[in-house]
Amino acid sequence: MSFIELKNVCKKYDKTEKNAVTNFNLAIQEKEFIAFVGPSGCGKSTTLRMIAGFEEISSGELYIDGKKMNETAPMDRGISMVFQNYALYPHMTVEKNISYGLKNMKVPADEIKKKVDWAVQILGLEEYRCRKPKNLSGGQRQRVALGRAIVKDQKVFLMDEPLSNLDAKLRVSMRNEISKLHRELGSTTIYVTHDQVEAMTMADRIVIMKDGVVQQTGEPMELYEHPCNKFVAGFIGSPQMNFYDVQVERNGITFSDGKSIALPDTVTAKLQGYDHVIMGIRGEDIKFDGQNLDVYRETRQQAVIENTEIMGNENNLYFEFGGITSVARVSKYEVSRIGDSVDFVMMPHKMHFFHPQTEEAITVQGRGGL
Amino acid sequence: MLTKKQKRNNWILVIVLIAASLFFLFPVLWMLANSFKQDAAITRDMNSIRAFVPPALKGNFFDNYVKILTDTSFVRYMLNTLFYAAVLIILGVIVNGLAGYALAKIKFPFRERWLMIIMLLMIVPMETIITIHFLFIAKVGLLNTVIGYVLPMIVNPFNIFLFRQVFVSLPDDVYEAAQLDHCSPIKYFFTMVLPMSKSVVATVSVFTFLNVWNDYLWPSLVFTSGDLLTAQIGLNAITSNDNTTMGQKLAVITMITIPVIIIYSLFSKQIVEGVVSTGSKEG
Repeated sequence: MSFIELKNVCKKYDKTEKNAVTNFNLAIQEKEFIAFVGPSGCGKSTTLRMIAGFEEISSGELYIDGKKMNETAPMDRGISMVFQNYALYPHMTVEKNISYGLKNMKVPADEIKKKVDWAVQILGLEEYRCRKPKNLSGGQRQRVALGRAIVKDQKVFLMDEPLSNLDAKLRVSMRNEISKLHRELGSTTIYVTHDQVEAMTMADRIVIMKDGVVQQTGEPMELYEHPCNKFVAGFIGSPQMNFYDVQVERNGITFSDGKSIALPDTVTAKLQGYDHVIMGIRGEDIKFDGQNLDVYRETRQQAVIENTEIMGNENNLYFEFGGITSVARVSKYEVSRIGDSVDFVMMPHKMHFFHPQTEEAITVQGRGGL
Repeated sequence: MLTKKQKRNNWILVIVLIAASLFFLFPVLWMLANSFKQDAAITRDMNSIRAFVPPALKGNFFDNYVKILTDTSFVRYMLNTLFYAAVLIILGVIVNGLAGYALAKIKFPFRERWLMIIMLLMIVPMETIITIHFLFIAKVGLLNTVIGYVLPMIVNPFNIFLFRQVFVSLPDDVYEAAQLDHCSPIKYFFTMVLPMSKSVVATVSVFTFLNVWNDYLWPSLVFTSGDLLTAQIGLNAITSNDNTTMGQKLAVITMITIPVIIIYSLFSKQIVEGVVSTGSKEG
């Protein structure tokens, strides 16, 4: 049985016509790390706040550990939460911030001390325990917020974009710390983020949302490899997947700029019945190296590099093709300069096809889609 | 780095401000200097610069003050007023603070209209409703009691507005975090909201103190017993007594001025912060 279950959960605010969240269904297993991800205003934080009890559930049911929680007060739901802006008590020291909840829960003083000592030690806050939040850096404040959440021994952790206020370097290290903490404590975690990298690197399963509706739920690689629609395909992965409006031919596809590529029969067979489709391909599936140019010669094309992004470990190459600015991700050894004319191939078995109107995936690779 | 012109302008500004403050301070300095003098000396020095110079520090230097403190009940009146101020500060912070919090953070029907009504009440002068207060207090038999004096003074629309303006900028997620920390709404108000809003609490406390300390009309209506009188009424009684000398009058006025000066000099920063923060968000 699932540990947390949301059944047809909807949220509608007063004086609005549209639902903020529509028919949200999800079963979360104990100790699972789930990430809700999506663009701003997609309803991910609203869903989290409904689970926490800070937002009323307009319709549907929420179960935590087998008990219906729709009407239960936040403090009685057995949850801890880490907030986007830390929500620390500004007039209290680190130690008091962490122990405040335990005191209210009438935990014996010696046990409180033990737990606070453990939390500050595990989070590396020993030397800051007597400082107030205003004298801490962003990362330290976030650790205090984590400490406040972990000392209460709650079975569910809710995290609402906890790293969004940190700089890029600190985010990476805190990401790692949160994952480690999750493994050590074995708590069920729901993590809200708009950053797909956070979701991909931390979560056991990801729920992708758009306009209050769940688009797809699955393991990170499942979403990456088999997106169920164009939105998911575009949202997951960096740089974003290249999308082309293409015309389906008998043995291949033709791009809007008139260029054609031949595709294997296994692929074209799935496109039968379509005149037009949207073809998507990730940057790393566009190849420039000699070996791939040879293997996939049917799809061989030429383009002029318009821009390059040197990332250090890899390079992003931008070029005009198929009526759009396309991006390819290549290794750091494949150096091209702006203005270079290069040959490239698109790996046919890595192509994704989407219905031109519904934008749902057309199954080519065996999973997901229509 | 200031330019030469800016430096010169600063100096001119400082000189003008010193001159202006001396202009406003001169009656106070005159009062202070003459409060140590006997009446004959006051009259003698009236038309010379010595009017601003206190007498030599001799045995009878504090005579006027000693006379007031020993021969009148002024100490008692001052202590009474301090007590009323303390009670009204505590009750005022709680009652007006809770009202301000409700208007800032709790959703209830017609909340904005309530706020509007309270803001409109700010423009109603105390003098226009004092008769109603008096009739009510008299009707319930609370004349000449501390409760009768305190009760109508607790609620203050301006203080509610000040609290509301500060509380509205308090982050909601702190309340949510406190809820998960098993903190009740009332406990949250006292252990989180008030400590997080120290500057406005200080501002309201100072305003309340000054209000009580300087109030003459309401205590003069409520109190008839000498034991309960406030400093301002005591001041009037002492200064209008024919047996009180000019020096003694000035001494008693000086004494009644001192707490106000102390409060302003101690809390001027908080008063400014408190009023300013009612229009801005704390970082």
